[in-house]
Amino acid sequence: MDSPVSEIHLRNPSDYKRWRNFLESLDIHNFSDKEVQKIDTTLAIFSGDDLVATGSLAGNTLKYIGVCNKDVVSGSRFNTIVSALVSREFQQGIFHLFVFTKIKYSASFQHVGFNELAHTDDAAVLEDGSPDVNDYLNDIPKIADQKGKKIGSIVMNANPFTSGHRFLVEQAAKQCDLVYVFVVNTDASLFSTSERFYLVKRGTADLKNVIVVNGGDYMVSYVTFPAYFLASSKDAIIYQTTMDARIFKNIIAKGLNIDVRFIGTEPLSRTTSIYNQVLQRQLPPEVEVDEIERQTTDGNYPITATAVRRDLKDNELEEIKKLVPLSTFDFIKANQAELTKRIKEGMNINGN
Amino acid sequence: MEIKSTAVAGTLESSDIQIMISKGSSDIQIDLESDVKKEFGKQINQVISSTLQKMGITAAKVKAVDKGALDCVIKARTIAAAQRATKTTDKPAWEVL
Amino acid sequence: MSDETPERLRRTMMFVPGNNPAMVKDAGIYGADSIMFDLEDAVSMTEKDAARDLVYEALQTQDYGDAELVVRVNGIDTPYYANDVKAMVKAGIDVIRLPKVESAQMIKDLVKDVAAAEKEFGIKEGSTHVMAAIESAKGVLNSPEIAAASDRMIGIALSAEDYTTDMKTHRYPDGAELEFARNMVLHSARAAGIAAFDTVFTNMDDTEGFYRETKHIHQLGFDGKSLVNPRQIAMVNKVYEPTQKEVENAKNVINAIQEAKMKVSGVISMNGQMVDRPVVLRAQRVMMLAKASNLVDEEENYIEK
Repeated sequence: MDSPVSEIHLRNPSDYKRWRNFLESLDIHNFSDKEVQKIDTTLAIFSGDDLVATGSLAGNTLKYIGVCNKDVVSGSRFNTIVSALVSREFQQGIFHLFVFTKIKYSASFQHVGFNELAHTDDAAVLEDGSPDVNDYLNDIPKIADQKGKKIGSIVMNANPFTSGHRFLVEQAAKQCDLVYVFVVNTDASLFSTSERFYLVKRGTADLKNVIVVNGGDYMVSYVTFPAYFLASSKDAIIYQTTMDARIFKNIIAKGLNIDVRFIGTEPLSRTTSIYNQVLQRQLPPEVEVDEIERQTTDGNYPITATAVRRDLKDNELEEIKKLVPLSTFDFIKANQAELTKRIKEGMNINGN
Repeated sequence: MEIKSTAVAGTLESSDIQIMISKGSSDIQIDLESDVKKEFGKQINQVISSTLQKMGITAAKVKAVDKGALDCVIKARTIAAAQRATKTTDKPAWEVL
Repeated sequence: MSDETPERLRRTMMFVPGNNPAMVKDAGIYGADSIMFDLEDAVSMTEKDAARDLVYEALQTQDYGDAELVVRVNGIDTPYYANDVKAMVKAGIDVIRLPKVESAQMIKDLVKDVAAAEKEFGIKEGSTHVMAAIESAKGVLNSPEIAAASDRMIGIALSAEDYTTDMKTHRYPDGAELEFARNMVLHSARAAGIAAFDTVFTNMDDTEGFYRETKHIHQLGFDGKSLVNPRQIAMVNKVYEPTQKEVENAKNVINAIQEAKMKVSGVISMNGQMVDRPVVLRAQRVMMLAKASNLVDEEENYIEK
């Protein structure tokens, strides 16, 4: 007889070993500290002394779900463990949940109420609960007869908003009736989401056909996509970018009648450059991809947010002035102490 | 009665139904997932909406994942979710039970 | 209880977790004499409300046959108790089982709440019965007054897990640690004319141990046992099944009663001896068990196997 669902503690070495062996027997292999440390809660079902089902929670995400169906009605343990995980989230007031899983388990999750947002050949992203993606789309402002208009879009982290970003938005605004600028919602950046959102909004305030939108949970920056269930890091990067592109195409672009996605050329970052290639491959023909030459400084250096952050670290306020619109510069100047403090406290300024 | 926050009752285990209730705009909207949706979807929706109406809830978004629940289970889970969503769990809806 | 209303059989009281729809729904199919829906230990704190709603709605619609329907409510000192009692009285439950009873006053308080709920919901006064679970040394020592605390009381049950903890011991296979409590509870029940239920046996893999314990409490004189798994029902019934000889003796006594009714004297006699009341009562009880075990036909004759 199966035990009731109980909590196990991965900090306890014997629990961790048993848990990991069990998942490895089910072909889940990535146990990097980065992924495992994000886990808040791990639940398990035992049959006698054997671990027969487990699942974990990290924030609003279900992870490391593994179920052995030996000797039981297929699906019953899966339902029990997922049910327990979902209840845990609800008790904590988390009502909007995600799961990133192998494609073969997508149907099982759909069976217990999850909706698939997108899938690739080997993986799927699903959500459950409220508010869902339809609520998200409904809350975004729209214009009359949007379907018949040319709608553009840009997704940016804007950490912080630079003259390069500004140039990209201007180009898009010239070509389109309406441009949505989605600001990636992740607080792993030097500038917080609300700060980045504010800077984009200020920096585009004069462009009347631009609407700045929080990217919510759907414009997931590919950096934040978990990929612990995939074998290699190369698979992971392709999976992450493809998934992001498909959610954008199938759900966001479709829901908002977006015709074009504007991207800046990427001479410096390899991952961003892969991302751009994947977008080019995935979005057309439904969504056109328009790659705009990135702006450079007078000295012919590409304008990047990374350069701004470096100058900030080096206290080169005058250099920053050359890279950002006045609204961003004013903000940085007013908050220089706080930003410098964040860098000193270890906030990563490389990456995106 | 007013929905104050999203709330859930029930599980995804066999013979149960999980009901999630959140704020709705104008009427009762039910999104049902069930293996027997074709045969019993209408009846399940009917039990949910009539229970909510009896509780004085006229606008709500409901997501229901049915695992073969009997009507009495559907009703019980709807009541529990609705009382949680309206923060009235301490005062059972005697007239609806 | 008058002589004319034969007591009911209470060999098996099956525990059903109150928040589990599959088990609540199917509770009637196993043939338990009593079904006890549990709102207490089997339900986590976050699900107390949902379990109450579920049991309530199931009681409105599900057919549990002739089984006596019992609900274990949450303890008097919990925030769930008051609504549990009200909901279950409104649902028309047969018996409310109060956990952790330590004094007659607790039963009197429960009875007061039950009576108030009957009045509030228009339920026939006195139709809701109560029983007490004894789970502590204090409860055991006060069990005589607890058993006699109210005429709504139908039984008293020993709950060994909490009791053994309170006694600074735990359960052993031979049950020596429970002897005193079992005898106290049993004597209190008999003195008050109500039923006595033995505690649960949780190790489902130890069939031999289960039989040993059940035979023991049967020998002591318990009405029956609390159960956590439907598989145990048949096992208990087997232990309580009368022998062919017992059934035939009982049948003779019943025949003698019927003959006596036709005679002018009204004196019940067998083989020229007068049959006194305890013999009659035992015969009636054996016959009831024989019927429940399908050992006799419609005319109460033993069916040869």
